[in-house]
Amino acid sequence: MSMNFSEFILKLGAEPRNRDPEFLSARQSSPEFENAALEAGLFEDKLERAILISAPDGLLDEIKAIGLRPEPPARRTKWWPMAMAASVLIAVGAVGITWKTSKSWTSVEEYVVSHYRHDGEKFTELADGTSATDIQTVLSELNVEAAPALADIVGLIKYCPTPDGKGVHMILNTQTGPVTVIYMPETDVVDREMLAFDGLEAILVDMKKGSAAIIGPNEQRVTSLYAIVQDSILPLPGSS
Amino acid sequence: MNTEAGRQAKFNQLAESYGTDLYRYAMWICGNDALAKDLVQETFLRAWKAMDSLKDFKAAKSWLITILRREYARTFERKVPKFTDVDTVVIPEDSELEPDDRTEIRQLRQSILTLAPKYREPLMMQVVLGYSCQEISVALDISKSAVMTQLFRAREQLKVKLQKDGVTGNVHELF
Repeated sequence: MSMNFSEFILKLGAEPRNRDPEFLSARQSSPEFENAALEAGLFEDKLERAILISAPDGLLDEIKAIGLRPEPPARRTKWWPMAMAASVLIAVGAVGITWKTSKSWTSVEEYVVSHYRHDGEKFTELADGTSATDIQTVLSELNVEAAPALADIVGLIKYCPTPDGKGVHMILNTQTGPVTVIYMPETDVVDREMLAFDGLEAILVDMKKGSAAIIGPNEQRVTSLYAIVQDSILPLPGSS
Repeated sequence: MNTEAGRQAKFNQLAESYGTDLYRYAMWICGNDALAKDLVQETFLRAWKAMDSLKDFKAAKSWLITILRREYARTFERKVPKFTDVDTVVIPEDSELEPDDRTEIRQLRQSILTLAPKYREPLMMQVVLGYSCQEISVALDISKSAVMTQLFRAREQLKVKLQKDGVTGNVHELF
């Protein structure tokens, strides 16, 4: 059965490089069909020229290098396809509780979401205040300290695993409610990157040493703490 | 050739064979060069970890595209910047074109970025990845006739936009 012009135009628009025998036969059936096909071919040449852009210099080499590294790092963020064991100490005067876990995260974003889902709500409920001494003791192990502006509102602080080693999980008791901060002393992030998950919002903060994720119920709450978190966790004097 | 060297050689072949097309596809789907590079690198990182599961090299392209599309879907959890100016990404060989041709190509690229995703994605699968309409219908889980309609409409929309800019082509309408 021969193809009418409308059918031919639809096939031409969908598959301009069609080599189907029925299509080729229809193309040759009249000058109207042939002209439409020629025109479509010219447009397709332009389309391909526009679409088939080059890959950036060095991209293929970077891809191949993935296989040469034992644990490939990220480009802007550290992406860590690793398994690690971590111990966590709840530093609120109780006997230390050790939590060993073996986790793999392929991005810092995945880590933040995964970690919060595992511990976030539980620790928020526990956040009833901790002493300044406890805060600085915990942070000093990571070679950082907290300025008073932050230390004064920390309701809970505990070590936690991060993609690149030990970090801390903090609950800040702000005037508008609790907010979670995960401090990652050895991890780089895209500064001010926003994440949304499970009805929560998070902002990633590039710090003087490492990075942090601030997690709360809405964008306004977490972004309002961006400056205080960034400015209040500082390397210990004399540390690298 | 030992196992590790063989694995690296196979991975390098994947990179050489599909790296550029994956970047092109990612670039046109997300419209952001930095994100496209990240998506491609993340895709190959996942591919490296799962290399042993790739038994048939002929299936590698669709396998890689599936990984990339999943990675892109996950970026909707991250509020990333939207479209970049595609001309900032491109392209030394454009200098070989006549000025009018360069203008036309630039306008076409800008128009492509304004296509709705439901038109842009099948178009890129076809032009960049060389997928047939049947392959696109499987990848997008829609009927082949829907794929053909979307490809047709994608091209017609681009022609309309170029015509408005005074460039080229007859536009066909199907009712």
